[in-house]
Amino acid sequence: MEGDKISNLIEISELAVGNSKKLGVDEVEGFVQRQRIIEVLLERGEIQSERVKIRRGIGIRAIKDKSVGFSFASVLDERTIRETCKDAFSLARASPKNPDWVSLPLPKRIPPAPDGLYDDDLSSLTSDEALNIVLEGYETAKEVDPRVSIDEGKLIVSSTEIAISNSHGISLYDRGTSIAFYLICVAKEKGKASSFAYEYDISRTLKGFSARKVGELAAKKALLSLGAKSIKPFRGDVILSPDVASEILFAPLISSVNADNVQRGRSLWANRIGESVSVRSLTIIDDGLLPYGLGSSPFDAEGVPSQRTIVIENGVLKSFLYDSYTANKVNRESTGNAAREGYSSPPYISASNLLVSPGTKSLEEMISEVDRGVIVNRFSGKVSNESGEFSGIAKQAIYIEDGEMRFPLRETMISGNTFESLNKIAAIGRDRRATMMDVYTPPILIEEITITSK
Amino acid sequence: MIDLLETCLSRINEEYAEMRGHTRRVLSVVVKDGRIEAVVKGLNRGVCARALVDGSWGFSSTTIIDKKSLHSILMDARSLAYSSKPLKKRYVKIAPVKPHVDEYETRMKRDPRSEDIECFVEEVLDADSEARNYSEKVVSTTLNLSIVDDEIFFVNSEGARIKQRIVRCFGAARIIARSKGNIASAYESVGRQGGLEVFEETPLRDAALKAASRAVRIAPKRVVPGGYYDVVLEDKIVGLLAHEAVGHTAEADLVYVGSFLSDKMGEKVASEMVTLIDDGLFPYGFGTMKYDDEGVPAGKTVIIDKGIVRSFMHSRETASQFGAAPTGNARAWSFEYDPIIRMRNTYIKPGDWTVEELIEDVKDGYFLRGVGGGQADFNGEFMFTVQEAIRVRNGELKEPYRGAAMSGNAFDVLSNVDGVGRDFKMHIGICGKEQPNYVGIGGPSIRTRLLVGGR
Repeated sequence: MEGDKISNLIEISELAVGNSKKLGVDEVEGFVQRQRIIEVLLERGEIQSERVKIRRGIGIRAIKDKSVGFSFASVLDERTIRETCKDAFSLARASPKNPDWVSLPLPKRIPPAPDGLYDDDLSSLTSDEALNIVLEGYETAKEVDPRVSIDEGKLIVSSTEIAISNSHGISLYDRGTSIAFYLICVAKEKGKASSFAYEYDISRTLKGFSARKVGELAAKKALLSLGAKSIKPFRGDVILSPDVASEILFAPLISSVNADNVQRGRSLWANRIGESVSVRSLTIIDDGLLPYGLGSSPFDAEGVPSQRTIVIENGVLKSFLYDSYTANKVNRESTGNAAREGYSSPPYISASNLLVSPGTKSLEEMISEVDRGVIVNRFSGKVSNESGEFSGIAKQAIYIEDGEMRFPLRETMISGNTFESLNKIAAIGRDRRATMMDVYTPPILIEEITITSK
Repeated sequence: MIDLLETCLSRINEEYAEMRGHTRRVLSVVVKDGRIEAVVKGLNRGVCARALVDGSWGFSSTTIIDKKSLHSILMDARSLAYSSKPLKKRYVKIAPVKPHVDEYETRMKRDPRSEDIECFVEEVLDADSEARNYSEKVVSTTLNLSIVDDEIFFVNSEGARIKQRIVRCFGAARIIARSKGNIASAYESVGRQGGLEVFEETPLRDAALKAASRAVRIAPKRVVPGGYYDVVLEDKIVGLLAHEAVGHTAEADLVYVGSFLSDKMGEKVASEMVTLIDDGLFPYGFGTMKYDDEGVPAGKTVIIDKGIVRSFMHSRETASQFGAAPTGNARAWSFEYDPIIRMRNTYIKPGDWTVEELIEDVKDGYFLRGVGGGQADFNGEFMFTVQEAIRVRNGELKEPYRGAAMSGNAFDVLSNVDGVGRDFKMHIGICGKEQPNYVGIGGPSIRTRLLVGGR
């Protein structure tokens, strides 16, 4: 990833813009991506395969008479780029008008890149080093206890460069790295198996990452669920781990503040800006500029500057999250929340880093305040982002009575409604964790959840 | 491309090496609330190499297709195999397979390459407008239609040389309705392997209307009360059960690590009314291909025959491990992935009951329809959500409820089966097992007993 290659990517995106202009587009945007990915797969408790992938491609958005065409290709020679431009243009011409289309974004001042988004250690990591990282996590899990075995795991190390150019003069380059590793462990005792325990770490830098921690925590979690029992159904308190809170509280919340869903009648919060939507203790900020943030970047997937947006302040809904299309529709500024899955995807709205303001209590203090309830570490079920209804199996759940953890629970169903639960938050923990969904949240205690054990 | 791949391979004399070139052309139209969100056309092309060196696999892929780059991924695959060798405990061997030289192409009446596909934009817009006009309670619609045209070249050091072209046409509608302050969504899909005739035979419009009517019907309803009930499951739910909760436990890589079926070969695990099959050659199936991604001819694997476990699904590696014959189940999503054991078209064989007869004997239960989502562990425990639950009392359909979870152990559910319908439908699915893949899931309606979860 040396200097000469930097100009390279922008040259390609500019070439696409130039080619398209000659064809007669009204507006055009080129998005070029280059990635190097190393994946190591653990299956059946051993290293199954290791893959090194070199991935490159371009996605072109062309606009003609308010019609949008999008084409992509994984081949970056001049001929293919010319053809891909033609495809985008002819798709735009063939599509009916979208009267809501206003414009691609105009160039704006881009803030300096937050610290810690790119790490030379990761971009130059060799496949042997990647193997050793996995091995470290694996060995650590085994050392914790002989009853623990590893079911599966995966390491993904990626180094990504992108360039965005559009016909209004945006021309930007950025690069980033990340490392993510998870392990699923199971413990066996007297012929009985624990439930599958999932643990992970994810970071933008090698220094901020520990495979050892993943191995240790996964093994301990598996042991903790040995000897599970059933209980009679009841309504009680539930402490959601950061992962489960992300899944059943914040995924529907993110969906409800997504301006596209708001404008399309898919959000129950459509007309509720300025109103109370949760307990007062909840404050949520979408921060695209968080140093070392998993979802951070100086600009979004359309080249709009990233920013900090207060979404909920003391329980009051403050703002939705916009890309340029949804912002233009209602005549306001984009909040810099356009994202892409890669070069083959047109932009869509996504939270960047969703930060839940921490409370003051440790997890132990939270547990000590529960009369009767459960703590849930993993959730396997269905959450409806639109209605907020959730129902599924609480895995790695532990029964709490009189402020103490009593015993692990066998497959236990929990169900409820996100939007009701946001008003039944009894405590927000102190210790925040970055989850795989780019949500940074502490554990959260919710009251009055239906708990049904088999 | 295939000649280039062969030239590369001919230079090495490893134990085993293979190369796979994959070109995927995609066309998709997405319409949201009457507006074209995107018309997308795309090309993904790349090559991968996999080498087996001294009992250890190595894999590498690239999107740069020239002699130098292909040679270098082959060398990378070898060196990865070599360097990871000391960390692996198992010495991999692969079961012998006759090297095939062959070609296969999806049977099509209307090849998308020779037609002007822009008319599809209209088709999606029309289906969308019908769905929105269905009722004023419909508040939001998302429809999509896709054509995926895959060309796969496979060569290996044993002399296999296979060209396959697989074309899939499919679409889906997600409709959201609001009523009495509630919001509900319903989803229906259409499609199969085949050319553009797929969209004439199974118009997207039908799926859109079906989803719209369901969303409107369930929006004002309550969530179903929970409990153990006699239930009749609609065909697609049966397909999901067959694939997700049962099929995975018969994949030899999961059998090896102790899935539910690992010690059940030859044993009874389901009612004798249940025969469960994974078929790589199911006509026009979403997961149909003549050869898998290791060059093994796809066949029909009878996993459960009249309640008894008869066969697992294998790759060449697990076939050797188990001393079984390869079944042609090794599949890869793209050139960026090595082949792993995947299902193709998984279904339960139809019986001779009508759906009315299945419902008739239910005193107090539910008729469950429409697939939501679902998860299952390889011990057979599953949790699926269904879109709609219709109360059955004394053999008659009563009031509808929305969104129910159903859960239990799949083998208990299959053992509880006491009626199998004569209706049968194959549906499309995308299954994720570390990497996604296209699969067919199907079945008749069945009657069984399970835990319906509500609130």
